[in-house]
Amino acid sequence: METQNQADLASLAIPDFIQKRSEAGELVTAEDILDAFLKMGALTEKENQRADFEALLKKTVKQNEELKRIVDGKAVAYYYSTRTMTDAYAAILIRRGQDEALLMAETVRDNSRRYPRPVPVRMFEFSPYSLTTEGISSCLDNMADQEQYHDIQQTITSIGTVFLFSTAYLEPDYANFLAEWIDVGQARSP
Amino acid sequence: MARIGGWAGKVLRADLSTGRITKEDTVEKYKDYLGGTGIGYKVIWDEVPPGTKPFDPANKVIFGVGPLAGTGAPCNGRTAVTTLWPTCWPKPLIASGHMGGHFAAALKYAGYDAVIIEGKADRPVWLSIADGTVEMKDARHLWGQGIRRTTLEISQQMGPEVVVAAIGQAGENLVPMSVVMNSYSHSAGGVGGVMGSKNLKAIGVVGTGSVYIAGGKDEWEKAVKYHLTLLGANNQHVVPTSPQPWAEYNNPGTRWVASRGRQWGAAEPPVDTGTCEPHNLNRIAYRTNNLAFYLGDKAWKYTVRGNGCTGCPIRCHTKFKVPSVATKYGIPEGGQNTCAGLLLGTWFYKSFPDGPQGETAIEAAMVGMHLADDLGIWCNYGQLERDFIKMHYEGIIRNKIPEDEFKIFSWDKYEKGDPSFLFQILPRIAYKQGELGTALGLGTGYMLERWGIPEAEWKKDPNLVYWKLGHPKHHANEDAGQSGVIINTIYNRDTQCHSQVNFTRNGLPIDVQKRLGAELWGSEDAIDAIGAYTPMNVHKAKWAKWALVRKELHDSLSICNWMGPWAASPLKERGYRGDDSIESLLYSIATGDKKSREELDQLGERIFLLHRALTIRDMVTREMRTKHDTVPDWVFEDKSGKAPFTKGTIRMDHADIEKGMEMFYRECGWDETTGAPSADTYEKLGLGYVAEELGKKGLLP
Repeated sequence: METQNQADLASLAIPDFIQKRSEAGELVTAEDILDAFLKMGALTEKENQRADFEALLKKTVKQNEELKRIVDGKAVAYYYSTRTMTDAYAAILIRRGQDEALLMAETVRDNSRRYPRPVPVRMFEFSPYSLTTEGISSCLDNMADQEQYHDIQQTITSIGTVFLFSTAYLEPDYANFLAEWIDVGQARSP
Repeated sequence: MARIGGWAGKVLRADLSTGRITKEDTVEKYKDYLGGTGIGYKVIWDEVPPGTKPFDPANKVIFGVGPLAGTGAPCNGRTAVTTLWPTCWPKPLIASGHMGGHFAAALKYAGYDAVIIEGKADRPVWLSIADGTVEMKDARHLWGQGIRRTTLEISQQMGPEVVVAAIGQAGENLVPMSVVMNSYSHSAGGVGGVMGSKNLKAIGVVGTGSVYIAGGKDEWEKAVKYHLTLLGANNQHVVPTSPQPWAEYNNPGTRWVASRGRQWGAAEPPVDTGTCEPHNLNRIAYRTNNLAFYLGDKAWKYTVRGNGCTGCPIRCHTKFKVPSVATKYGIPEGGQNTCAGLLLGTWFYKSFPDGPQGETAIEAAMVGMHLADDLGIWCNYGQLERDFIKMHYEGIIRNKIPEDEFKIFSWDKYEKGDPSFLFQILPRIAYKQGELGTALGLGTGYMLERWGIPEAEWKKDPNLVYWKLGHPKHHANEDAGQSGVIINTIYNRDTQCHSQVNFTRNGLPIDVQKRLGAELWGSEDAIDAIGAYTPMNVHKAKWAKWALVRKELHDSLSICNWMGPWAASPLKERGYRGDDSIESLLYSIATGDKKSREELDQLGERIFLLHRALTIRDMVTREMRTKHDTVPDWVFEDKSGKAPFTKGTIRMDHADIEKGMEMFYRECGWDETTGAPSADTYEKLGLGYVAEELGKKGLLP
């Protein structure tokens, strides 16, 4: 039977657990944490366990500034620690597996606005995006057909690398120039 | 009086003509010039008469290190090699090369801050430095050998701890395009022929001492650790290439390429580079992989590890293993280098059958290093290769060399991107074989003169990125707009100044760069986004001056200007600020000579000014603005016709650059009409004796 003691200890262990998983590049759900704690023996199975744990988690998050809650498109809540994961990274993870076209588009828009720069489409094959080539291709096709993505355009460098940019933030000419600089120019000027 | 730290205390002087070895007190004679290029310029000013040529016995070559070399301060492994420059055209002028590796530390541990080589031996010699015992030894058995064999032979004599700086056959044959190299892959370009002209094959150093730190142990360790926290990846890129859990920003163009899943694939077992969270100071060495940065993702499987200079955590030299080259070309499958040294072989080619980042490019890199790093050939920051490509494809080589010689080369292999072609061309440069080998080895300026090609043709070709005096640009308007242009007007070879480009390529968003720029150079207007340049302003001039003064400071302290200054850092809690006073902090503790940032910068400016004075003296003109500080035509052009100050071009405007030069001269206290420093400026910076001498010659404004 779970004691108050166990609950108190769990409350102390939750931030550390979330922090470590965030460091590893993972968002966690309440269920993930509870399952891990049950497996470790930190908590004992009981009736209403999940509901009680959610309440405990909510209280812990409120008490710990560095813990954040983020909700995906299906209203599933995830948790991360800002000590070891940035909001920017969490935002990528929350969209991954949900709406990959939106993930790509938002990444391209953010890069076009902020740095500003286009992004090589190959970037989405690698962590944390980890999209397949077919998946990327499919997203690009979908984006071409949807008005909400019409600002996402391509430019190809002189060595054939495809970059994406948002016309909402980058003029095509400038995007082309920056892509060429990133892909070709910098390496010629080490 | 408190003991002075940092400096080893002695400057070694080796007169190769007489065989005499003497020692001088560093602090007494050179403290006001710090070390490195500071000592180098001072010696040349005081002791080498104007009009001396690089290969004259009267020329001197100074291997100088600074008070931070060998101390454990991060990024302290540089040796400056200062001399009159063989490839500087049409008239040799003062310049310096720089090499990393272990030479700087070894020299300090042996008890020396510099080695001044003068005169000319009557037969090949090498200099053996084993702590206090310094001898000139017979090098006739080494002469004709490459750098590798020379290093091996000297190691067998002096022991495995020796650090050997040697020239190859190129230097022996007085090829101006030659290097001195130490620690396998660390070279100083352009100086090999000067050593060869003196019959000096190598310097071997064994040092068993240490460097005294004047400050307390805790104070020093705290400062070093603090400096480590500010480090990014190579070139002080502070943002990772790909998104990482800890990172607010990422930038595909940076050298912070580490990521979970990216492995040193040729290590046994393979080593995962991981996320490299910036507070984990034990992971700094995993951040950079220059082989992969330049030659693409395929390079990871060939990477063994990073390597580099004494005590530097960055490890920018990639050690790699490419088994195919042993079979295909009969060369060792291991290689190591960085930047232009790594790319020497690839840059010879217009294209490769499998693209610029395919297997063939990697093989070409291996073959290039195998040959050039043993023969001791210099590439002049890629100018050698760019010239070669242009001259081949435009038929210039065919026109200029005898038909019989032209037929020796397998041009079909070259045009197909076959790395084996390098076996034909590189040795011919080192041995001055034939017209082509001889001409290429002269350096661009003298080659153009020999072949009757007007320099003006080179100055208008944007693909060549030729600048002036026989050398190319080195991080000019493509990286830093007008400030980059100003910086590139100053030196007598390619600039080698990275202060500005380390900042512009650090990976941070433009608004963060502008914020940091405002703090350092007075206004956000100092910094433009790449290719979105705005008209000149005084803050850009301040930035240019800061960049140059810091470069000279670094070259005199033995701090790596490929890493510093530390204008930015990867630390979000610092607002990504670096620390612009880190050099003065480390200098003050190490030496006990407490100097603020401004005071140390003033020392750097003195050294920078001495370089200016030497150039004026040896050019015999004060008209620097029109005769020296020139900008090539291609800087003012854009092939698609875009106007300056529009997005998507690096094209500069003539009037705007003129304005920039005036602003820069004003910042430096130089006459705006001539670009010559005033007597007042020399006096203020402790160079009154320089003003006096120049005044007598009518070389003051």
